Amino acid sequence: MERKVIALDQIDLNDERFRTSYFFSLDHLILSIKKIGLLHPPLVVFRNSHFLLVSGWRRVFACLELSLSPLEVLALEQKDDLRVFLVAFFENLATREFNLVEKAEVLSRLKKFGVNETEIQKHYFPLLGIPPSPFHLDVFLALADFDFSLKKAIHEKSMTFPTVRLLGEFRPKERMLVLPLLLSTGQNKREEILESLLEISRKNDVTIKEILDDTKIQETLNSQKLSSLQKAERIRLALREKRFPCIFSWQESFERSLKKMHWPEEISLKPSAFFEEDALSLTFHFKNEKEFQARVGKLQKLASQSDFSRILKKPSDV
Amino acid sequence: MFRSDFIPHKIYLEEASQDYPLTEKILKKLGQIPCEIIRSPQSLLETLQNSRDAIGEGKKFIFLTRQKGEFVKPCPCTPHHISCHYIIINLDLNCPLDCTYCLLQHYLSNPLLTIHVNHQDLWEQLDIFFEKNKHRKIRIGTGELGDSLALDHLTENSRDLISYFRLRKNAVFELKTKTMNIQNILDLEPAENIVISWSLNSSQMAREEEKGAAPVERRIESARVIVKKGFPVGFHFDPLIRYPGWEDGYAQVVKKLLRTVPPSRIRWISLGSLRFSPLLKPIIQLRFPQTKIIYDELVPGKDGKLRYFRPLRLELYQKMIDFIQREEGENIPLYLCMETEEIWRETLKKTKGKGIF
Repeated sequence: MERKVIALDQIDLNDERFRTSYFFSLDHLILSIKKIGLLHPPLVVFRNSHFLLVSGWRRVFACLELSLSPLEVLALEQKDDLRVFLVAFFENLATREFNLVEKAEVLSRLKKFGVNETEIQKHYFPLLGIPPSPFHLDVFLALADFDFSLKKAIHEKSMTFPTVRLLGEFRPKERMLVLPLLLSTGQNKREEILESLLEISRKNDVTIKEILDDTKIQETLNSQKLSSLQKAERIRLALREKRFPCIFSWQESFERSLKKMHWPEEISLKPSAFFEEDALSLTFHFKNEKEFQARVGKLQKLASQSDFSRILKKPSDV
Repeated sequence: MFRSDFIPHKIYLEEASQDYPLTEKILKKLGQIPCEIIRSPQSLLETLQNSRDAIGEGKKFIFLTRQKGEFVKPCPCTPHHISCHYIIINLDLNCPLDCTYCLLQHYLSNPLLTIHVNHQDLWEQLDIFFEKNKHRKIRIGTGELGDSLALDHLTENSRDLISYFRLRKNAVFELKTKTMNIQNILDLEPAENIVISWSLNSSQMAREEEKGAAPVERRIESARVIVKKGFPVGFHFDPLIRYPGWEDGYAQVVKKLLRTVPPSRIRWISLGSLRFSPLLKPIIQLRFPQTKIIYDELVPGKDGKLRYFRPLRLELYQKMIDFIQREEGENIPLYLCMETEEIWRETLKKTKGKGIF
């Protein structure tokens, strides 16, 4: 390794073969360089009349912003791309944690530079904190091929491995179609949306586009009144209805019956989970005997209504 | 080939399991198949776990070992559901068939076709069990952690088990299969307390979701042959699966069954609907990407397993009972497998599995 001073334009930044990090903020680094200069020289390697950047992408981009050229670099004398990449990898590994997208880039580069899958799982998965299974390798390699804007969203929204796994099951165009639905929801709801879409598509042999072209979903998506959070929530529920039509209709019928009877809000009546048992549960609060008598009185009146039997309907009664 | 003539790619023989008669018998039958003696299967299992389909890979190899735990156990059934008080014999683990819904895919940590060769321990454990339970009516069988007959051409387990149980008059012993591997049984004298049973499904589901199993028509034909030999038979419509046209599919198979096998020789028919642990779902998705059966309206029950939403299960059972009764099967004892009290009451008009036999 040799220290050199080179002009910034001697580095071919279009060649990203050794790059694994893409999403970073430069603000603090620019401030730091302005105050104390660049303390750690970036690492480069010479290939075909140009230097390629091996590590120090943030530093070089900050220098570009500051027009700081020439700058001191450490030049590797190594012909083998894999060995060069491993220098960058181990340098990063020692100083920070890789996020999901970076892990995917690392694994994809290792494969590209000729490391076989068994070696990757055996030697690199433990270093990256990935469980040793071919399934995980497949998911990460798929992520490395995702569209750039999707990778950015995965990074910025801190999407989890299960979400990435589900996204990997969509076709590239479909991934971009569902992306807007994922930006305003939490992890669990995000996964539910993706899972519903995939399962409806598989069960009914329809494309993701066909599901999303549904009038109700389109009206929600195009609504001017709804926030993006409200839109995502409505779409999640619309998808749940499509995915579980029978369950949805039972729940709706139960709620409709309560509404028809003007069931009081202060008394909660709930069926068992998924109507699996005949028993229903009733909950109410009271502070004194008068309140207790009032609730019981209301319940007696409700029980005498003819509609009460609808609430007690069992699957075998239908 | 319906795996009745299954031959492994290789045999792994545990070093300490060499001197058993069953080991000798299997090695003799598979003389041309490579055999490796190993101290422990650990490194083999690690290699398998690194493959993309450890479960599928494991089905290519036979592992001869000893049962170090108990051979005889009560069927764990499932919490909060009605038990049929079955006793299971864990003789072989795993199965060369490859059914989409098979719970063994996540239940067993060892994907190898494992044959326990220390049968002397089995007989001793069974003797103790029957001594303790001599006044009880016992329903007992293999076929819980693997098909009872899929490896019978190699192990000849059916011969030994039938010989043992024909003398146990307080026991009803069952061999449960999806194969036509009945050759060994046909050599034996029948006994009324030995029931050979088949898991059945509609022809379409058997074709699409029960890879390696015999076509349903052939299973029914095997049952006819067994009845002709003099043994009683049993059938398990389990798992019943909803798919477009399921009513017709199941009506046809019930019709075929009850017009081929005399209902008077059927000791029982059990009904169970598709159910599985949520942990099995991603395994099925990976191993059987074409299947649609896991995308129906399945909800978690009290035991955590996914089952069809109750009205859908009820419809499945009610229609099946109707199909059976329409084909003059009204006197065949029916029971439900891993079902709730509510479903028992709504379908069979009773709430106890105990005592049906």
